[in-house]
Parts: sequence; structure tokens; C-alpha cells
Amino acid sequence: MIYIFFALTALFAILTYFIRVRLFSHLMVFVYIAMMMALAVDLWPQAGKSLNTYFFSDRLGLIFYLILVLVSLFSAIHYVKFVIDRNVKISDVALHNAGTIFFTGSMVGVLFTSHFGILWAFMEATTLGASILIYHNRNQDALEATWKYLYVCSIGIAIAFAGVLFLGFAAQQIGHIDFSFTAIKAEASSLNTVWLKGCFLLIVTGFSVKMGLIPLFNVDIDAKDASPSQVGASLSSVLMNAGFISIYRFYEAFSGTSILPWMNKLLMIVGLLSLFFAAVYILRVKNVKRMFAYSSMEHASLVMIAFSCGGLGYFAAILHLVMHSLVKSSLFFQMSQMHRIFGSKLDEKIGSYLRVNPLGGLVMLLGFLSIIAMPPSGMLISELYMFQALVAKNYWWVALLVLLLVLIIIYGLAVKMLGIIFLKKNTASINMQGATPYESIMQLILIVIVFYIGLFRPAFIVDTILLAIQTLPA
Amino acid sequence: MINFIIVLFIISLIYLAKVEMVKSYFTLMALQGVLLFGLAYFELKEIDLAHLLLILVETLVFKAIFVPIFLKRITKERVHRHHHLPIKGYYSVLISTAIVIGCFMVSYAIHDELSINADHQVKYFTAAISSILVGLFMAINNRDLVTHLISYLVIENGIFLLSLALGAEMPMFVNSAILLDIFTSVLIMGIFFNKMKDYFQNADTQHLSQLKD
Repeated sequence: MIYIFFALTALFAILTYFIRVRLFSHLMVFVYIAMMMALAVDLWPQAGKSLNTYFFSDRLGLIFYLILVLVSLFSAIHYVKFVIDRNVKISDVALHNAGTIFFTGSMVGVLFTSHFGILWAFMEATTLGASILIYHNRNQDALEATWKYLYVCSIGIAIAFAGVLFLGFAAQQIGHIDFSFTAIKAEASSLNTVWLKGCFLLIVTGFSVKMGLIPLFNVDIDAKDASPSQVGASLSSVLMNAGFISIYRFYEAFSGTSILPWMNKLLMIVGLLSLFFAAVYILRVKNVKRMFAYSSMEHASLVMIAFSCGGLGYFAAILHLVMHSLVKSSLFFQMSQMHRIFGSKLDEKIGSYLRVNPLGGLVMLLGFLSIIAMPPSGMLISELYMFQALVAKNYWWVALLVLLLVLIIIYGLAVKMLGIIFLKKNTASINMQGATPYESIMQLILIVIVFYIGLFRPAFIVDTILLAIQTLPA
Repeated sequence: MINFIIVLFIISLIYLAKVEMVKSYFTLMALQGVLLFGLAYFELKEIDLAHLLLILVETLVFKAIFVPIFLKRITKERVHRHHHLPIKGYYSVLISTAIVIGCFMVSYAIHDELSINADHQVKYFTAAISSILVGLFMAINNRDLVTHLISYLVIENGIFLLSLALGAEMPMFVNSAILLDIFTSVLIMGIFFNKMKDYFQNADTQHLSQLKD
């Protein structure tokens, strides 16, 4: 089934690119998403089982897959509106939709592969797909962002490949090289730890560009800024999840070895440094999209810090990623409408959004409350778990440092977001043409899901996450 | 023979760091492609035909012929090389030599970790890590996009050497996926390179400073 899915992905992408009829192009994306839903139905009963030599129906993969389907669906609907409003050329629409199918298909590969080599190949493919999407607006900003993204990502992915080869050196010493997750995990404890450490370091460095962490986070921020908002939503949510799962696969495979404390320390350092950079940049940023991008960096850092604590931290990290994906996508989707109304991405040019567009303003307000983890946002729960995990490990100083940096970030976000939502500013012109309340409904649905998770903690999500992380050390 | 090829490869790396003529890049990249094929041929003696063909495509056809010709085509007009580099030619040679020596020392230091065929692997390690670091040095030390593209290819060559040091083969499926990815990334980078050239009239990274906080 999964091979047929990938073959159809290639076929759909080619057809969408070559048959340049607007309706057909959009329709292909929706049919593709329907196909993804069918794949979800097929994979769910086989959760935790192997599908073939190179793929498995992993539970963590399934959780992120459901988010991928939902975000892709809403993103496709927003793109239809985007094309109508901006009267985008059919050649650009065809390329964008073909790129969307290719990009989404590559991420499905990342989520379900059970082989380190294939994982790397699909991650590289996401770079190529994302580049097509980032270039959509065809202006100087888009060109600059695309070039930087493509170049730095390619170098990052090359570094990650060196990591895979380091794993090969370790495996070679025990006689045979099999890059499948199960084979590496089974023999990890007999592998040379110097190579394993080298491998993990290179993997975290290389894939940091996808998760938006140090050292390669800059191009990710530029990409989210210069691309259309619905692309920014995908980069901030589903691609970040894909980056996380790539690091997670290596972590899980090596978690039974003596380098586990070392890996945790590394992730903690990466998380803390990224959080520090996010706090510094968020205070001085003027562009709202870049502010959201730095906020994503903040949450990626929190995920890493939580994950590095182990135990409850694993659960907190994954729950946080799930909810962040939903909230951040909704903010980026809403940004598209806000940009159209005010004609600017700068916070000084956007004001009284709640008065100008009440439903849109409400989405921004609820989204803002969610990302700063205010109740009833579910992100409060995951952040509380994170602090609980830090305290349980006696990392008091880390907990205090994280608290301080998060407070700085909340201050930075609040000053700008509350200004956008409530303050009357000297906005150049307000263009309400084409702004309908309907386009905010999807964002509200995403935020309501996060509130629902926060208030009721549905067993379906909690149990799936717990089952997904049961392979990690307690 | 393998020693000879590795030394030649390292000399080509040092020369790459100081090159100021764009066309020398293409000759050097083609040379590196041929050298890599030579290494792969001597290294992987007991290889099946399909795998040999794949490596032939990757090194001779792709690295030694396609990439230099492709880059030559896209850079034939309006590409300026900047001679006001932060670090000039003579010093670049010194720095790249220092990188090679440093990499040799590091590779030698991890000699004991390479339990299988360690003496042999030290040579590959030196060349591979040098290639990756010289590629990064080139990217930092140059402002023009042609050099950035070349530096990416130098890094890729380093990665290829590292995979040769591994000796054992990955499954064909994985190898093909990797080859396809690298091929497409060079192709897409080439397309964007052309667009940048058309947009900015030349290919200099100083134009790429529009996006900031």
C-alpha cells in the first residue's frame, strides 16, 4: 500500500505540474489529501507493526501524520482563496500545487520509514519540495529566502549524511552494516560510543535546520517570512515535526547505550541556546511573520529541553509538539488575511484588528493566549509537565533559566500582539475586499482542538503518545 | 595507486581554495570526479556490475561530466568573481593546508577507534574531512554564488569519500535515492542560480540582505 502511495504521489505531482488548468490543479491536491486519509485508515490498525523492509506503521509517525493531513487540508483550502485574491498565474499555481504534493509525500516518507538511509533521502526531498513552495511569490525576498534555504539546508543535510556514515563506521566494527532501526537498536550497546556520539552530534546539527534550532535556524526564519502564510504554517508545524522525528529515531536507537546521558545533555544545551536566541530576537523583531517564526523556535527549544529530561519529559515534548503544530498553523493562516487587510507585515502598521475584523481578531487573541500557554490552552499542560520533569531531575537552575527566558518571550509577544489586536495605530489603508469570516473558521477549529486537549486530555491522544514512547528508557 | 589518487585529490582541494578564474573551477571539479571514480574503482574491487554502474554514473557521468558542463552553461554570462576576498589567495592556500594537516592529525588521533583496516581508513578520513572543511571555508571566504555552488559540490565530494572509507555497500535502493537527491539539488540550485543572476544582474551574495528583523 505505501509503495503505491509513493508511486501515486509522483504521478499526481507530475500531472499537476503539466496539466495547467486551475480547477484541475486544486482538485488534484484535494484528491491527494483524500488519498492520505485512506492511507491513515489503512495504517492505523497496523500501528506499531512493520509494513515491509523499509517502512513501518510507527505510532509517533501516525500522530504526526494525522496533523499533517489536517494542516495540509486547511492549507490547500487557504491556497484556493490566496489564488483567487491575488489572481495568481496558472503556471505558478501548477508548480506550487505539484510542489505541495511532492513536499507532503516526502514528509510521509520521513514519518514512516524504518531505515536511516531512506530517512535521510526523504529529508533531502523535503528541502527540494519546500524550496518550490517558498519561491511562490517570485519577488526579491522569495528569491533570497529560497536560495539561502536551499543552500544551507543542503549543507545541513550533507552534514546529517556524514552522521549516517559515522553510524556505518560503528556498525562495520561488529561485522555487518544494516541501517534499519531495529537492527541498529538491537546492536547499539555493542557499538563504539565515539562513533555513536559523533553520529548523533552531526544528526542534531544537520537536522536543526528543519526543526528551527541552533546552529542553522536563520534560513528557516527567512523562509517562513518570505513564503506565503500557508507555507509558513506547514514549515512551522509539520516540517518541524518531521525534523523532530528524524532526531528522535537516532535518539531512540541509541537510548539503550551508555551515551544516553550525553545525548540528553546535548539536547538540553541545544534547547537552552535556541531559547536564548529566540528570546533575544523576539524582543527586537518588527515583522509579525518573523515573530511567529521565532515563537516556533522558542517552542522547538522547549520541546528539546523537555525531551532531554527523559521520563515525563518525553510525553511533555510530544504533546507540546502536537499542540504547537495546531496553534502555530492557525496563526500563520490568519496572518494571510491580516496581511491582505493591512497590506503590511510590520506590527507598527497593523492595529485594532479585533475592531476591523472581529472573528479574525478573536483568532489572533486566542492563538496568542495559546502560544503563551494561558489556560485553557493545552500548551499549559505540556509546559507544566516539562517543568515537572526538570524539577524531578533536580535541574532547578535550568528550570529557573527557562522560566526567565519564557517570561521575556511572553513579554515580547504580548507587547506586539496586544498592540495588533487592540491598539489603534496609524495604519496606511485597510482593504476589506475579499475578507470573509469563513476563512477564520478553520483557525478556530484548530485552536478549539488545543483547548479541548487542554481541558479534557482525551485518552486517544494520551494513550497513543504513551504507547509511542514506551520503547524509550523510563 | 590509492595513495597517489588521494594525494592528488588533496592537492586539488588546496588549489580550489585559491582559484580566482571561474573556468578553473569546472576543470578542477571534473578532475575530482575522475579521481573519485578511480578511488571507487580500486577500493570496491569485489563489486557487482549494477553497483559499479551506479558508481560510474555518480562519479564519471554526474560529477566529472554533467556538473561541470551544467555549471559552465549557467555561468557563461554576467558572472563576476570578486577579488576582494576577506582572505586572499596566498593565505587561502596556507589555511587550506592547515585544514588538511589538522584533519590528518584528528584522523590519526581516532586511529584506534577505526579497528578494521585502520591505516587505510585514516587516509580516507583525512581527505574526506579536509574536503568538507575546505568546502565550508570556500563558502565563507567568497561572496559570489558560483563559488557557493562549487563549495557545496566539494562538501558532497567529501561525503562521497567518507562513504568510500566505509567500504561496504549500502543497499542499491538507498544509494539510488541518495544519488537522485544530490542530482536534483544541484539541478534546482542551478535553476535558482540563473534566476538570481537575471534578477540581480550579477551573482553576488551582497544582494542577499533584504530579509532581516
